[in-house]
Amino acid sequence: MRRSPLRGRIVATYLFKRILQAIFVVIVITLFVSYAVRLTGDPAVMMFAGGGGSMSEADLERVRAALGTDKPFYLQYFEFLKGLVTFDLGRSFAGGAPVSGLIAAAAPSTLKLAFVSMLVSIVMSIPLGIWAAVSRGKAADQMIRIFSLVGVSFPNFWLATMLVLLFSIALGLLPPSGMGSFESYIMPTLTMGIILTATNVRLVRTAMLETLQSQYVMVARAKGLSESKVLYKHALRNCAIPLITYFGLQFGGMLGGLVVIEKVFSWPGLGTLAFDAVNARDYPVLQAVITVLALLIVAVNLIVDIAYGLVDPRIRLE
Amino acid sequence: MKIIRRGILAGLTAVALGGVSFATVPAYAEGTVTVSVPQDPASWDPIDTFLVAWAAVATNIYDGLTYRGPDMEIVPGLAESWEELDDGKRIRFKLRQNVKFHNGEEFNAEAVKFTFDRLLGDEGAKGPQRSNYTSIESVEIIDPFTVDFKLNAPDPVLLTKLAGYGAMIVPPKYVQEQGEAFNLNPVGTGAFKFVSYNPKVDIKLEANPDYWGGAPKISELNYRFISEPSTAVAELQAGRIDIVVPPTIPIAMIPVIEGASNLEVVSVPGPTVDALRFNTRDGITTDLKVRQAIIMSVDRATIVEAILAGQASEIVSFQSALSFGHDPELQGLPYDPEGAKKLLAEAGIPQGAPLQIDIRSNDASMNEVAQVIVSYLQAVGLNPTIKPYETSTLISDIIPQGKTGAMFQQKWGGWTFDYDNTAYAMYHTGEQWNPYGNDPELDRLLESQRPLTDRNEREKVLKEIGKYVADQALELPLYNTNAIYGVSKRVKNFVAAPDNRLKLNEITVE
Repeated sequence: MRRSPLRGRIVATYLFKRILQAIFVVIVITLFVSYAVRLTGDPAVMMFAGGGGSMSEADLERVRAALGTDKPFYLQYFEFLKGLVTFDLGRSFAGGAPVSGLIAAAAPSTLKLAFVSMLVSIVMSIPLGIWAAVSRGKAADQMIRIFSLVGVSFPNFWLATMLVLLFSIALGLLPPSGMGSFESYIMPTLTMGIILTATNVRLVRTAMLETLQSQYVMVARAKGLSESKVLYKHALRNCAIPLITYFGLQFGGMLGGLVVIEKVFSWPGLGTLAFDAVNARDYPVLQAVITVLALLIVAVNLIVDIAYGLVDPRIRLE
Repeated sequence: MKIIRRGILAGLTAVALGGVSFATVPAYAEGTVTVSVPQDPASWDPIDTFLVAWAAVATNIYDGLTYRGPDMEIVPGLAESWEELDDGKRIRFKLRQNVKFHNGEEFNAEAVKFTFDRLLGDEGAKGPQRSNYTSIESVEIIDPFTVDFKLNAPDPVLLTKLAGYGAMIVPPKYVQEQGEAFNLNPVGTGAFKFVSYNPKVDIKLEANPDYWGGAPKISELNYRFISEPSTAVAELQAGRIDIVVPPTIPIAMIPVIEGASNLEVVSVPGPTVDALRFNTRDGITTDLKVRQAIIMSVDRATIVEAILAGQASEIVSFQSALSFGHDPELQGLPYDPEGAKKLLAEAGIPQGAPLQIDIRSNDASMNEVAQVIVSYLQAVGLNPTIKPYETSTLISDIIPQGKTGAMFQQKWGGWTFDYDNTAYAMYHTGEQWNPYGNDPELDRLLESQRPLTDRNEREKVLKEIGKYVADQALELPLYNTNAIYGVSKRVKNFVAAPDNRLKLNEITVE
């Protein structure tokens, strides 16, 4: 393809818009979260709450001054925004570790979990969905539909516990929790993957059914192409757009589900970090985690946009 | 009972071993023990935290001047002996000699002074621990191994406090060099040395062969942070964790552990007490008769037996039976629904009067107990509702700001096992845990016992406080729950600590 100056400008405008959008999202979300979390408790009290003893107003003021929570909200929030720009997110209220270090340690764990789960779900749902579409109304389709229904109905923590009971306690094959070896990834990603697959499989089936009725599939079949070529090369590519959109949207929802999965499997990711931060009212950590999650979702949307172009040349940055 | 059985077993084993192979048991044995604790304290600096999870680990890294073992007795730690001077306003400690910190620094009077200057100075002001030690005016060095603690006023609980949390002795040079980094690289004089810390994952320790109390009998000690009870129990069942430290295992999970042949449950009375306290400022619970009626409507013995599976004991005042100031003679109001109805009628409370009970939403036992209490209260004609709050919201907003319903759950750890520590925080005017009460008589009683150095006299006042609170019916006292440990049978010589501060230098593993 010929590269024109016009195209460069389109790309630049597009990226600029995306960056503005990201900034807007981060400000709106963090402003809301920071304000709301301050309405429901006091980190200084939480520090004493382990069961220490006497806790007078003077003690609390001393600790609040050290934490900086005695300042008005807008100043605290401004400090946080300044920290975002200067890449200094401050220190955790709980223990004083630099927030950037905590995020840097936790983010990769969550990303690995998220992407592997996504991959597991895609690998499972596409063949199953296609199979269901091809054998519409037959036994296979019914079985897959039941699997999907059951899968959607599973609460993720219950499924996780059942997997642990089976693979760790009864069979002794996999470690019940923790992140480390290859084996430790199997159950968390399988839990997440099965639940995602349950919805994805229906989507793939529906999209595929529509495509299979179109004329070019008939033509492809008439040409005498093998069935797998028809399905995976011609049909799948044409129903890819709704699938990509949906997988992208799902990613955001999945990050929420990962909080539970991380907790059940003692996975040291952003979910665990956020969970502990909420419990301790650790504002700096909470604000940082929320920011990272918001940026992640913006980034995934960007990837989805790019993926459209890759799959369908007609919608390349028009 | 389990403890006793273990003790006898351990004794028998020791005798058997002694007879057969006394000479072959090495002082320093190989072996790794992995323990799960419910939380990552995030900082290992003694002055930063009040978390039980911190203490469960750090007891093995640091020592205090005094030490309180599982039997709850205060014994010498880094101080070999002490004496009270100036009517209790000065305590002189003789320090243990030839003790080194893990980094090689020598333990001496200098280190003690540094530790407390730091705790009471700017560094300590940022954390919660300092408020426990404000009776200390200064620490004076008499000679390299003698220090004097000069006190503002006699503090009868000080020796206990010196065994806990903020009073752990830290190495002066190292702390100054490290600054904030000390949080993540702790060094003490304890039985185990710090090896590595991985936030939200684990902390690893190794045996300190030069420990003044004798080298530990295992070589490595790892702690994993696991907050989810079912995960901790699964790890225990899978044999990847040897000890689960409370508060992790809920009562409902005990049968699972007991059902596994390689595991056992060890449970001892702990410091944790639960009560439903009354809002004495607004609503029907401002009336003493109503409060008494509510207490009389609830059959606590049945709750302990049926819901808590005997893993708790009834309380009459807000403290465990191990606590100093506990009065075994004190009689609570009896379970008497008919009497309760009469009192409510006298108070002019109409049938079906509403009553809100605030509880912690993540407290599984309390959620069940509260349901039962609701039905007891319905039986005497009240109409209670349960309002579960996220725990942090309840304890850091609803209670201190005085926004509770008629009754609210108070859970209390009371690690000092001294009623003063609890009662002062609960009932003294102006304390954050006391949003409603301001009773000059109670304030006077609470203040009067603090400077008393005569144990008997102080105990008398503490008992008086307990009786006063019971007479005023300031709370519906519920129960003292056990500290429940899950332990793998490969661990030998395990002695459960009521306060979760498990020192593991004596245990061995197969």
